[in-house]
Amino acid sequence: MVNSLIASLTEGLDRGCDRRHFLRSGAAALALPAMEALSGPDPAPDGPRNFVAIGTYLGWHQNAFYPKQTGGGYEMPATLMPISGFRDDFTIFSGLDHRAPNGHGAWSNFLCGKAPKSHSLDQVIADAIGAQSRFPSIQLTAGVGESNTKGGNAISFTRQGVALPMIQRPSVFYKQLFVSKADRARSEYLLKSGRSVLDLVWEDAKRLQGALPARDRDKLDEYFESLRGVEKRMGRQLETIHDPIPDPGYTLPNYDPITPNLQIEAEAIMYDLMALALETGSTRVMSFFLHGLGQVFSFDGKALGSGYHGLSHHGNDPAMIRDLVTIETAHIHCLAGFLQQLKAKKNPAGKSLLEDTIVLLGTGMGDASRHSNANLPTLVAGGGYKHGRHISVDRSKPDAPLLGDLYISLMQRLGLEADQFSNASRNMNELFG
Amino acid sequence: MNCSGNWHGGRELILRLGVSMGLGLLLSAGSVVADDIPASVREILSTSCLECHDAETEKGEINLEKATIEWSHPEDRERWLRVLEVVDQGLMPPPKKGELAEPHRKKLLDYLDARLLKHTEIGGTPPRRLSRDEYQATIRELLYLPTFTLPTGFPNDTELHGFNNVAEGLVLSSPHLEAYANVAQSVADEIFPPVEPPPKVQRWEAGPEDLVLSFSAAAVHDGALRLASRSVDIMRSCTWPSRIEIEHSGTYRIAVDAAKFLAGSGRGFDRAMLLEVYARPVSATDRSKVGDFRLLNTIEVTQEQVQTSTFEADLYKGETVLFRWSNAEMTHDPPRVHEAFETLARHDPRFLAAWLKVIFPSGNPKKPRSTAPLRGRNGWEAVARHMADSELDLTHASMDSALAKAFFAVAAKGKTSIADCLCSYYHTHGPALEIHRLSIEGPSKLVQSPADRTRQALQFKITGKPRDGQDWEAFVRDMLARFLPRAFRRPVSEDTVDSYLAMARRHAQAGNSPSECMHLLLRNILVSPRFLYRSLASGPMDDWDLATRLSYFLTQRPPDSTLIDLAERNRLSITRSSETGSQKPEYWVIRREAERLMPKVRTDPMIQSFVGQWLGTQSLHEIMPDPKFNFSPDDIDLARYETESFFTAILNRNQPMETFIDPSFTYASIGFVKRNYGFTPQLARGTKNNAANRTPSKLQRLAIPQGGRYGGLLGQAAIFMTTANGVDTQPVVRGVWVLENLLGMEPPPPPENVPALTPDTQKAQTPRELLTAHTADAACVGCHQRIDPVGLVLENYDPVGRWRTTWPGTGEPIDPSVSLSDGTQFADPTEFKAWLVENIDLFTGCLAEKLMIYATGRLPNYAEQQEIKSIVQQNKARGNGFRDLILALVESETFRTN
Repeated sequence: MVNSLIASLTEGLDRGCDRRHFLRSGAAALALPAMEALSGPDPAPDGPRNFVAIGTYLGWHQNAFYPKQTGGGYEMPATLMPISGFRDDFTIFSGLDHRAPNGHGAWSNFLCGKAPKSHSLDQVIADAIGAQSRFPSIQLTAGVGESNTKGGNAISFTRQGVALPMIQRPSVFYKQLFVSKADRARSEYLLKSGRSVLDLVWEDAKRLQGALPARDRDKLDEYFESLRGVEKRMGRQLETIHDPIPDPGYTLPNYDPITPNLQIEAEAIMYDLMALALETGSTRVMSFFLHGLGQVFSFDGKALGSGYHGLSHHGNDPAMIRDLVTIETAHIHCLAGFLQQLKAKKNPAGKSLLEDTIVLLGTGMGDASRHSNANLPTLVAGGGYKHGRHISVDRSKPDAPLLGDLYISLMQRLGLEADQFSNASRNMNELFG
Repeated sequence: MNCSGNWHGGRELILRLGVSMGLGLLLSAGSVVADDIPASVREILSTSCLECHDAETEKGEINLEKATIEWSHPEDRERWLRVLEVVDQGLMPPPKKGELAEPHRKKLLDYLDARLLKHTEIGGTPPRRLSRDEYQATIRELLYLPTFTLPTGFPNDTELHGFNNVAEGLVLSSPHLEAYANVAQSVADEIFPPVEPPPKVQRWEAGPEDLVLSFSAAAVHDGALRLASRSVDIMRSCTWPSRIEIEHSGTYRIAVDAAKFLAGSGRGFDRAMLLEVYARPVSATDRSKVGDFRLLNTIEVTQEQVQTSTFEADLYKGETVLFRWSNAEMTHDPPRVHEAFETLARHDPRFLAAWLKVIFPSGNPKKPRSTAPLRGRNGWEAVARHMADSELDLTHASMDSALAKAFFAVAAKGKTSIADCLCSYYHTHGPALEIHRLSIEGPSKLVQSPADRTRQALQFKITGKPRDGQDWEAFVRDMLARFLPRAFRRPVSEDTVDSYLAMARRHAQAGNSPSECMHLLLRNILVSPRFLYRSLASGPMDDWDLATRLSYFLTQRPPDSTLIDLAERNRLSITRSSETGSQKPEYWVIRREAERLMPKVRTDPMIQSFVGQWLGTQSLHEIMPDPKFNFSPDDIDLARYETESFFTAILNRNQPMETFIDPSFTYASIGFVKRNYGFTPQLARGTKNNAANRTPSKLQRLAIPQGGRYGGLLGQAAIFMTTANGVDTQPVVRGVWVLENLLGMEPPPPPENVPALTPDTQKAQTPRELLTAHTADAACVGCHQRIDPVGLVLENYDPVGRWRTTWPGTGEPIDPSVSLSDGTQFADPTEFKAWLVENIDLFTGCLAEKLMIYATGRLPNYAEQQEIKSIVQQNKARGNGFRDLILALVESETFRTN
């Protein structure tokens, strides 16, 4: 989009159009939200280029997520056992949060900072670097939760506070990434038929313009310029439509695991596709929302004692906590598969995809049993950081860093000139680098 | 404290855009109209203006040392219009240069007024693209898609002159046109979907491991899934196969293996167990009720051996089946939850004793434990342990013991947690209903789903039904002849119909189906400039354009059938004085239509859009008040509600314009007024003084004292929020806002060489002291002597509109007294309000101009401003009603001209 815009601007100049004409194009540009992307930053040459955020709706049980010791050499906590093999590839943070009020409504704070439904971290990043790939950002979810009317059913929010829809079906995500032959035929048909009829629109618009007084004709020139732009773009798309599609070598199941009880299954597939999306450079920014309602999970053929949501209200019952941690460990097991793939996939320079990607895992819910939004379990993997530690923050201290300060550090690492996020205005570069 | 806000930065660009783009279009190009300035006027200019504004000094880039005025030249006209304005408002010449003698002043003004009027013609809206909201509403109406919403990421419109529907601001670019093309394609896909290849017959099998366990509704034991509850909440009672999702709506053969499970309980279930099979969309929420779904069949399960029941049923795309045991002994649904507990307690005292032990750990019937942690199997296991305990105390295990009664009362409340526990009892002890296996095979034939039927009805609405024996081309021609005028909001020529028909014909000849041809036509029509733009003609509007303008103005929608009918009969634009016998032209048809279309409730699109933009209520939610104000998100909603309801009420009741400033009522809750305005309001006259109406949270019309601090546009939370930033107040921003939006005196942007003011908070104690910097600098004083007093007089209102008496931070007392440049003095905001009521024409003129910008999509030019002014005057003489004002504006030449 941006490219075609630049093209249309320079075209105008080439034709030697007068200043007013150029002004008008400039005015058109002002109306385009994506113009901001023109000044997108470049990451440091060796810095990571991708960002992935993963959040659970029902939080992470703190006692099983936080190590008992701080610093390096900590004893791997129960929930994180599946990724113990990657201990030097991630860092655990405790004591961070957004100082937001408690309650379910604040779940969506995870990436938004203190105020729910404000410009989320992934979207801030996507606005800066997203335009450099096919999909500026992708939002995914596994599992089903409350309906939208109950609020909180979203992870990513635009600058205007619009909750972005999430893809729930792996088959839809797959189709976006790897267009099928049938879809390609349809696209070709739409492009070809669409382009041929632009002639008619053009003629009709010309007839219309001819009947207008001079001052109105100028205004309609905007329309013709736009039409030319669209036509060119369609032409370019048609030229590339027969380019070979990379074979991802991946087979989806013949159903979409979209019901709540198949969440873990869906999660594993989504992670596989996310790794493929990063590998093919289809996108650089993704968010992944792990939902949770009353579904009862079965592991190894044995059903847990209660539904996911019910377990999260464990009231310190050891049996319920055990089952809750079983689910959370299953989430981390899926994450392990993701990290494994990112680590194995190398770019031509020999750099792993994991080094090239910051993976943020966390939640907006500090303790679901109490609906507390303080002390949010957080983990950062990849991104070329020096990892292997548990960084514990004493949140009772007045100058304790906020979760937003960590976000500022992550943004800077991705090459953004960021010095503020929600209620945070520092960074954690000294503690974490 | 930031006294200058962002005002110096943001507006400038837009304003300059307006000048360079807008005014250039006012006169038709080609003809040069020039006037020699009469000697008498040149004399006045020479003595009073040229000291600063001669060709050499050009102060403020204004050079008035000219012998002629080229009226056809937009820049020249704009310059002299500006001269008229600043002299009229007494801003020029500046006070320290001495006043212009009254006869001279009048001479200069009369000359400019007469020439400007002569050389400005009414009209000037260029082709006006539909705004985002108008476009969405238009798609909904045109294609009968009432729930259509634009995709996330659809481009927003640029605001110009305060509104996002001004023609010059509604630019078009190729990504934007592409967004239109994408929407066109997706709605075409929805109405004329591509044909799918015929489906193959599929067979799905599902065992207990493939069925959903939702909460404690079901459990798997001994290779079978058991159901226990008959609750209407599917998540508490039902199960469904989650890996089956029907792809093609059709008739399917469904086979279910089921059995009674009675073992363990020693209790029978003599009747047949009724297993209901529903069709549920896989994507439906688990919070659904069984009644939300279609009942396919009820299977009677009569024996403990597995029995297979087979039946045929229609399943639609996206569905799977759902099972519910409809005559189960227990339910989760109050008020009958306790019944199953009583039945089992009567049957087995140990059951009762174990529950009493769990629920009343202290043995005190008044102190039941919280049942929430008993959720799920874990809770049941606690009960089961006690039941198995040989030492279990059976003392109170009789139906009429105090503890038992207390327990049944707890159960009757229907807490899902203990009902879930009971499910686990039934799962292990019976009676329960077992499902062993399910298979679905098909489709044996395809059927139309309700979605397919809705779509077909929609297609017929758009295309019409083919007549018997009608050939395809005639059918398409009929469709185009009907649909194109609706899409383009005016009659279309035969040629236009022919060109579209030819396109469809070529597409069909290339081997495409009739549906694909319709798809193509729709995609094409929806990107035509005739659809995307209105005001595609200049001069006095014809009936069609008038219907369109009136409709989008008052409803944000395209004209409805009544308006179309009137336009067809030329009833909107033609004056029918003969019908009333009057000599003067009358516009009673358009007036009647305006009455009919006038917004009636707060949520009507016109109120939301116009008030939302004019008074900023649309963006209130973007302001995040500092926590120290304790102003909740609910309060933000209430602030918006108050201002929008207030506007709506004045409109509906045709109340005088003064009401906007000094009303006797507001719309809020008693609690909101108490919290934010610091007093307890009376109920409005005519409201019953009963407990319900005195509820603090009830939204209603409330009486408030006139002449006070609160009430009206200069006394509502929303206004003070919109003119602050949520943290501190900015007198300059507030002042500019009031000038622009209430008094209609838009100050010009600051000169380019003036940086945004960086206040030196070291010395200054109050914003007032900070602002003296403005009046000390000659470059600033011209505007800031108008801006600053209007901001400072409102400093008693904090960023959420609550009254304060000291400035935050320094604690200095607030002195709101100010004097305007003409010497008028206000001791406090109530005096300012009283002054504004005295000078209500300022406000009326301002609001009238805003309404006209919103309606016509252009900034009124000089001639149009004069027409608006005279309408304001005439309306005042007729009682100054707000509704009357809008009706008069609709009748104006300015409104009726493009």
